[in-house]
Amino acid sequence: MRRPTLFGIACSLLALPVAHAQPVRLSIPAWIETGTLGATSKFEATLNGKPAEVSAQLGPASDQMILVVMDVTGDPSLVDPAREALISEISKLPRNAWVGLLRAQDGLHVLADPAADRGKAIAGIRDLPNSGNPGLLETVQPALTLADALVQKSPVRVSVLYVTDGNIYRYREDYTNPVINQSDPHDLSRRFPEALIEEKISKLLDATAALQAPLFVIHLHNRTDRLNRAYQNGLQTLAEATGGRTELCRSVAEIPEAISATFARMSSEWRLTLRVPPKVHGLAQVRLSARSGDEALRLSWRSRVESKERQKNGDRAHPNRTRSGI
Amino acid sequence: MCIAASGADTQSRPPDPLTRAAEEFKVLTRDQGMRPESAATAQKSGPKMPWHGRVYENFRNDILDAVPHEVTQNGGDKSILRRNQFGFNVAGPVLIPHLITDPNNTFLMVSYEGVRERISRASLHTIPTAPERTGDFSQTVDQAGLSLPVYDPGTTAPNAAYDPGQPVSTGNLQYLRSPFPGNRIPESRLAPNIQEALKLYPLPNTDIGPFFQNNYFVNSPQTDTADGFIVKIDHPFHERHRLTSSTSISNGFLGSAKYFPNLASPTPPDQNFSTRRSELDYVFTATAKTVYTASLIATSSSTIAGDASQAAFPYYELGNYLAMGTPYPQTRNARNTYEMDASGSTRRGKHALRLALQADAHQVNSFNPAYPSGDFQFAAGLTSLPGIIDTGAPFASFLLGLPQYAERTITVSPSYFRDPYGNLSGSDNWQVAKNLTVSIGLNLGLHMPRVEKYNRQSTVDPAVADPSVGLPGALVFAGLNGIPRGLRPANFDIDPSVSLAWNPFGNANTVVRAGFSRSHGRIPTYNGQWATQGFNARQTFISANTQLSPALDLASGIPPLTTPLPDLSPSAIDNAAADYMDLTGREPVYQSASLSIEREIPLSVIVSAGASYSGGRDLLVGNSSANPNAVSPDALSYGDMLYNQAFHTTLQPFPQFTSFNLYGLYPAGRYQRDAGFLGLEKRASFGLTFTATYTFSKQIDDYSAPYGNQDFFHLQNDRALTASNPPQTLQVSYIYELPFGSGKPLLHFSGWRGPLVSGWSITGTAYWDGGRPLAMHPEFNNTGNVLATLNVNVVPGVDPHVPTPGPSLWFNPAAFSQPADFTVGNGPPTEPNLLGPSYSSLDLSVNKRLPLGERSIELSASAFDFLNHANWNYPDTGIGPAAAPNVNAGRIIGSHGGRVVQLGLKVSF
Repeated sequence: MRRPTLFGIACSLLALPVAHAQPVRLSIPAWIETGTLGATSKFEATLNGKPAEVSAQLGPASDQMILVVMDVTGDPSLVDPAREALISEISKLPRNAWVGLLRAQDGLHVLADPAADRGKAIAGIRDLPNSGNPGLLETVQPALTLADALVQKSPVRVSVLYVTDGNIYRYREDYTNPVINQSDPHDLSRRFPEALIEEKISKLLDATAALQAPLFVIHLHNRTDRLNRAYQNGLQTLAEATGGRTELCRSVAEIPEAISATFARMSSEWRLTLRVPPKVHGLAQVRLSARSGDEALRLSWRSRVESKERQKNGDRAHPNRTRSGI
Repeated sequence: MCIAASGADTQSRPPDPLTRAAEEFKVLTRDQGMRPESAATAQKSGPKMPWHGRVYENFRNDILDAVPHEVTQNGGDKSILRRNQFGFNVAGPVLIPHLITDPNNTFLMVSYEGVRERISRASLHTIPTAPERTGDFSQTVDQAGLSLPVYDPGTTAPNAAYDPGQPVSTGNLQYLRSPFPGNRIPESRLAPNIQEALKLYPLPNTDIGPFFQNNYFVNSPQTDTADGFIVKIDHPFHERHRLTSSTSISNGFLGSAKYFPNLASPTPPDQNFSTRRSELDYVFTATAKTVYTASLIATSSSTIAGDASQAAFPYYELGNYLAMGTPYPQTRNARNTYEMDASGSTRRGKHALRLALQADAHQVNSFNPAYPSGDFQFAAGLTSLPGIIDTGAPFASFLLGLPQYAERTITVSPSYFRDPYGNLSGSDNWQVAKNLTVSIGLNLGLHMPRVEKYNRQSTVDPAVADPSVGLPGALVFAGLNGIPRGLRPANFDIDPSVSLAWNPFGNANTVVRAGFSRSHGRIPTYNGQWATQGFNARQTFISANTQLSPALDLASGIPPLTTPLPDLSPSAIDNAAADYMDLTGREPVYQSASLSIEREIPLSVIVSAGASYSGGRDLLVGNSSANPNAVSPDALSYGDMLYNQAFHTTLQPFPQFTSFNLYGLYPAGRYQRDAGFLGLEKRASFGLTFTATYTFSKQIDDYSAPYGNQDFFHLQNDRALTASNPPQTLQVSYIYELPFGSGKPLLHFSGWRGPLVSGWSITGTAYWDGGRPLAMHPEFNNTGNVLATLNVNVVPGVDPHVPTPGPSLWFNPAAFSQPADFTVGNGPPTEPNLLGPSYSSLDLSVNKRLPLGERSIELSASAFDFLNHANWNYPDTGIGPAAAPNVNAGRIIGSHGGRVVQLGLKVSF
């Protein structure tokens, strides 16, 4: 037998139940960074060392729904290459990957429903104007809530993909803490101007903690001023907390690559449903293993397990999104 | 039940789960008001954005702070600070029944902030000693601690034995003058009005030294208030149109921390501020690739300074002693800008094109008399032994009421300046290849010259002859005798720019950026009434010989203006200081080029490095850097004859004017900056975000020397390191979310402990520079008023460095010397190899967020200079003559800084 291969893992989130009067399930996305597993590979799981039944698993070839949210308001020289790359990647998706299209300006709006026919989504991407104010921070929670509802109700893998060029200074909301009194010479409160952005990101982390769909963000314009850095880092934190990822493009050439890499990642998602063993709650050590031919995979990370009651109350302070490979 | 589906299965069977999910998607999005066909009721109950906002208070008090180092060093133990900064912000949708029903449509945001503070300002000065105030200079010493003799100008007489062929010296005096007996001015000689003024002048309250210097420490409070609003509303129309309106209003009072508790304090007057800004933006999205925008912006700021109900105190300048009175004691200024912008951008193939038009109208309305009660300058010359340095004292001249120069500003009416500007710019972002983008821009600017609403402006035109003296240089008036309203020509500028971003070898992890740009600077319109002579007056009184006779008799005061205003004669300002406007049409030109490379490496880290060049010419400079009416340094050979004002003026290019006032608007400066940087950025991972930038640079110029330029005829001789530019800087900022509590690896408690340990973060910044170039200056300038600034001499073969620089000796003063009388210094304005002490500051903010359902409480404690690090002051760079060296040269007196703490409370809802 070959030596077991070590795999990096980008796993996601869990919201697990506790006081188990009835069986509680946990749905988690996971990615295999290297190596391949066959679609029929079987995972085994433990939570805090206790075996947890993998009641269902969806592999990279299973049904998938991608909700693309366009949040483009700026430079067409960045947006147009993004449109072309998006259309190209969507066209290459397998037939069982459906794409829905939404827009983030002035709230979340559906432009094309997920369907086998991608023509409407592609036309929507092509014709969408890039104007208005950025809307990611105000729409990401409803978008993830929508995706989470689909995950809970249908055996499909669901991902949310934001394509944005948002500038934190152009939001309708005030995240930049602008100077109000120009004649105040001793104002120290704006020496750390990113406080409002951090506060918003913290709120979103709390609000989306129990949601189980991964968020991917492709930011077309990496800006290097202090506030936009804080904003972009916040997007990274937010996406990684859901098991997703943020790509920050520093040049036009990076846009197609970032979009291609993100679609590859979304397509390679595994979604596992675990039955939580009794008396497991709080932060739980999660271990996954699988075998495919001569190749073995072991994954390990921690997650927090919440009670069923708290989940019902919408207070599923979610799992730890930290993870580690073994 | 979840089912693992194989690829083969999904290819061959209808995707029932997907269909079900898609139907669910439609239901959910309809219920959430995300679809056009959503019922109005659903829209109202959907994911609308509720009203939300925050209320906050930032609190500062001296009980939280460390006592500033500069205060403790002067014996103080408290520096008053009471500050409350408070405000709120609310934002949300506007809903009006039957009119605006979509909660996503109209968005309103209102912010308010108020400030109430009382804060102390500490400073250290030198003022006359108690004996000096009575005319007793018997204890007065010079920089070397040697007795400083004060001479009686009433005893001045020509020296019959004077040899004009030899320089003036104590052995070859041109004029004889007796010292006051016992170095005391008799009480009967003290000017009565000066004695009256001295009642408002404080006595020394400390003794820092050396000798009697640095003897007055003041740490007086000032009171400031401010209240401001921002209201912003945003509304889209029919998908393709959007209108945004923003208005801000702020009123404030900025008190002045007085050096003296009376109207003679040499501090700026209290000021009332008012600012207004309104902006209306319209965006029309014609197609997916074409967008048009239009904006109207109006801004207004006004300042009223001083108390116009009482007469201003005269401005007395007393050499190195703290002055009395202040310039611009009572002013009113208002600046208005009206701006219209329109732009269109579109995408054509690989090109993103943008065309923008901007038209501005600037207004500056100013009532700004500099010295309504007079400016009186007192120097050592009138109480010196004529021609001999290190004799006489400015304060002695003051006690005798003998100014060497005086002026008074007579302002009849405010000025209403207008300054229009237009700009047309185009740009093309061209994606040349998949890995190469080139941006090309062209900017066409039309800068119109400043005009005055009633044509009340003037200047000296060197091309027009002054009829009263028959020499070039006469006063000309806007709109009179064919002179254009703007006096100077308009400027039409063409400014190109080009830049590129290249991913070499198809590697997206690496980006190479390069750019070049050229631009023109505008001639700004400052507050003030410069270049309005003839309509307003500047009476000037100059001593016929600054060592022999005063500019006027202070006891009689400044005589009234004899010529009524307006005086539109070409000779109206002959024998006076003239406002000189450059009429050639030159304006600042800048250009820059840069090259950098960025590479993303593992662990979310980006490293970058780059180099840049920037330079400029015809930069705007003031009286200390240029003087078109200067006497050539070649004239120094005339020696003490130069103190004869009548002779001195004959050497000037425009002898009918005593001097020129350039008001910081003369286009003559040059600079060049070459810099490199290394950057490190760690993007968010494991709760840590981090950026660091190290910059090294060399910046040289010929206009920013701290003590001014020595040779106005050869500015390149004063080209030296920029004193304000530290060659090395390091800036670091970081954000770290502590790994405790909910969702973190450590201390994940339940119950009451959970909220306590969760939600902590630290934000910090750090700055360090390696010191700025030092500027040496001689203690005495005996050049007959030919050189406004004198550089030091560099002593050959003497190392200016010391083995261990410290406060007791930072540099070796023996490496420099005071130039001989009537010679130029051979050293540069700033030393190429000597830097001042380094400067560092560490700021830190600890934040705790406590979620309360939809609400949250944020607590913050911010500490600026949180290590309470003291940064050294810069050393004394005054170099005295060998006979009377400055004993303080090279030494550092004191340090500054101190930890400042601010506590913040914010409730978000």
